[in-house]
Amino acid sequence: MMSHAVARTQQAAPSAAVPTLSTVGLTKRYGQHAALDSVSLDFLPGEVHVLFGENGAGKSTLISMIAGANTPTEGRVLMDGREVALGSVSAARAHGVRAVFQEFSLIPWMTVAENITLGEEPLAGPAPLQRVVGFLSKSGATAEARRLIDDLGFELDPRATVASLTRGKQQMVEICKAMRVRPRVLILDEPTASLSEHDARALFRLIRRLQDQGTAIIYVTHRMHEIPLIGNRLSVLRDGRFIATVPADTHEDRLIELMTGRNMEKVYPRPRADLGDVRLELRGVSLDHKPGVPDIEGIDLAVRAGEIVGIAGLVGCGKSNLAQACFGLRRIVSGEVLVDGVPLVPRHPADAIGRGLWYLPSDRKNDGLALELTAHENMILSGLRFGASRGEMLKPRREARQLSQVSRMVEFDGRRLGEPVARFSGGNQQKILLAKSLVQDVKVYVFDEPTVGVDIGACLAIYRCLADLSARGAAILLVSSNLPELMGLTHRMLVMSGGDIVAEFDRADYDEHRILEQFF
Amino acid sequence: MSAAQTNTDRPRPAMLWLSENRQILALPVMFVVALLVFAAAAPNFLSTDNLTNVARQSVYLLIVALGQLIVMITGGLDLSVGSNVSLTSVVSAMVMATVFAGNPDAPWLALWSGLVAGMAIGIAVGLVNGLGVTLLRIHPFMMTLGMSSIVFGLTLFISGGVPIYGIPPLHGEIFGFGRIFGLPIPAIVALFLVVLAYATLQWTRFGRHLYATGGNNRAAALSGVRTDRVTVVAYMMCGLLAALSGLLLTARLGTGEANIGGTLPLESIAACVISGVSLAGGRGRTLMVVLGTLLIVLVQNGLNLMQVGAYAQFVATGAILIFAMALARN
Repeated sequence: MMSHAVARTQQAAPSAAVPTLSTVGLTKRYGQHAALDSVSLDFLPGEVHVLFGENGAGKSTLISMIAGANTPTEGRVLMDGREVALGSVSAARAHGVRAVFQEFSLIPWMTVAENITLGEEPLAGPAPLQRVVGFLSKSGATAEARRLIDDLGFELDPRATVASLTRGKQQMVEICKAMRVRPRVLILDEPTASLSEHDARALFRLIRRLQDQGTAIIYVTHRMHEIPLIGNRLSVLRDGRFIATVPADTHEDRLIELMTGRNMEKVYPRPRADLGDVRLELRGVSLDHKPGVPDIEGIDLAVRAGEIVGIAGLVGCGKSNLAQACFGLRRIVSGEVLVDGVPLVPRHPADAIGRGLWYLPSDRKNDGLALELTAHENMILSGLRFGASRGEMLKPRREARQLSQVSRMVEFDGRRLGEPVARFSGGNQQKILLAKSLVQDVKVYVFDEPTVGVDIGACLAIYRCLADLSARGAAILLVSSNLPELMGLTHRMLVMSGGDIVAEFDRADYDEHRILEQFF
Repeated sequence: MSAAQTNTDRPRPAMLWLSENRQILALPVMFVVALLVFAAAAPNFLSTDNLTNVARQSVYLLIVALGQLIVMITGGLDLSVGSNVSLTSVVSAMVMATVFAGNPDAPWLALWSGLVAGMAIGIAVGLVNGLGVTLLRIHPFMMTLGMSSIVFGLTLFISGGVPIYGIPPLHGEIFGFGRIFGLPIPAIVALFLVVLAYATLQWTRFGRHLYATGGNNRAAALSGVRTDRVTVVAYMMCGLLAALSGLLLTARLGTGEANIGGTLPLESIAACVISGVSLAGGRGRTLMVVLGTLLIVLVQNGLNLMQVGAYAQFVATGAILIFAMALARN
């Protein structure tokens, strides 16, 4: 997504330096099971050290222990060669270790400035008074937040309420919080997962500046194309164990082999050659105005049976809204959506599903899954009305049969169907979400970011499943912010920018640079 | 994934299971503790007579708690069940008394008109609750709290605050004190409703839709579940169950009473919460609610026998509720 944007020469990290932070035999056991098994790593000053591995490999456990949010069962942490106790988050902070996790620690109803200054609020009035009564200085907080935001080069209004911000913006607030005190070790857990291109570039510039100042940066990411752009070295974890440390410009295929322990023939299955009739068609579709989203007007597109059509574009270009409109989640003011040539006017998602259209939402936690319910209950849900298991009474045996088949399709461990979704890793949750799409009689799929925030192993399983659907004659509209994924999977690609379709490419003409040029 | 919680992709050890399910385990433990304490403190506590008494007293709360369970599974709450019971009692008694006065030879006619009127009232109250929660998007707490006041006001208005006399004795003979094969009819009704609720929640699509609606409303809607309809029906079922409880109570008392529902909202919510029903929705088991209801009535009965006085019951019920919430915290 940003390979063109940030042309970066590999910076050799200072090699002879004493590590800012080292782990020695760090181990975390839960009962018999070791989430992390004797991992020893060095994080050098001025180094961006990428942690790489599938979900459940131990990355989160490792960084949570370094950040003081989790205590090791065995092993030590050294800073500048001396052993330190990072028993709590505040102890870790006192040693200059700061972390930005994926789950935010922001208070939604406070402003950006209030969140950034939380805990060390600027006070008003003369100093002696401040010691007695802590009157908050609103202007002081706003000014300090603005200074920090400008310094980092983000586009953020310090007076905005955090709840009103997009996830990407909230991520920036979180980063600002961590940067308020210059950290010696900065942990970034998939920081770009919800950032736009522009903000991601600002973050990369910032990381480079911190590098120059000697900060050791621990960077967790699933986005392979980021690794050579931003990393110096990369350490692979698998099943809680350390596998290898390699230079960050190691070839992708080699990294995937290290991570999965499997030999990788091909990431993307080849799309099927023969296509059928048009199944999904948009004719001159215009949506009603919605603040914060570019106006979408007069969109035409068609997807044939067996075809995978991609929609590419920046975050906020309107591609997700277009996907939602197909399913009736945005109001269509003119034009029409046709399924198998017949206009579809869904008043409720049930109408669309009844006509053979399925939409996979991009936000699996809010829109996709009921986290307290089991994988089984989530997967079968729409199948109870629209699939082989339909009927007023539940049919446990038929459900189980159908789900074991569906689990195989998405490469989900069928023995775990009875567990609540909250217990699964992101990759497995995404497989459960995808499995929901497969339990009913549907021939047209709209997938909105089907691989967002999942590990490569799950990604590959999802790619195989999409190819499988296409091979069986499904028409697939694939909205994605991951350009390599679109280039690998789709027959055709439409590029959206500012709410318009600005370009269309056939597979034969795919060229990353030419496509990316259309983004802006 | 947050730092503290590492959701690894492997099954967890047994200790974790225990701590995760401590809320569910707490109920049987509390139940046994209550039994032991009261058995020791009040000698006649474990007598057949007393235990039968507990079972019979539990019926009215149990039926209301089943309705509360259904609504709570959808992520809602019904604070109007108490007023609903009162209104049902008053309206059904007035209908029965009026019809009976006009047709003294046809007690069955009076009985049936009263029952139908009472159930219709209950369903109507539930319908208004459900429409307020879905169409007007009012938080269930405020919607049903407001309705509670409206319905109670109506009840007082209609009854003038005095008991309604003149219902056919047949009502009490059957639904108050009747027995089939030695089993009290109210208990049989409650048993039937428990089975019905269990079957609906566990075996039907509608039941699964209730859990899905409470588990994640938006995800359920995107999966084709008509979540608003499901929610409205849930409130209607809750209203109907409250009405049935009101009808049985009226039969027992022999009069229509405006003041019989007062403690039911708290007690029914407590019965659900100590049974592991999530306030956030999506979780709750019928049989656990039966156990939770029995525990509450058992404690009240035990305190009675120990002659602590009626006021202590309120303290006990509230304390159990708060204790259960403390266990439920994450």
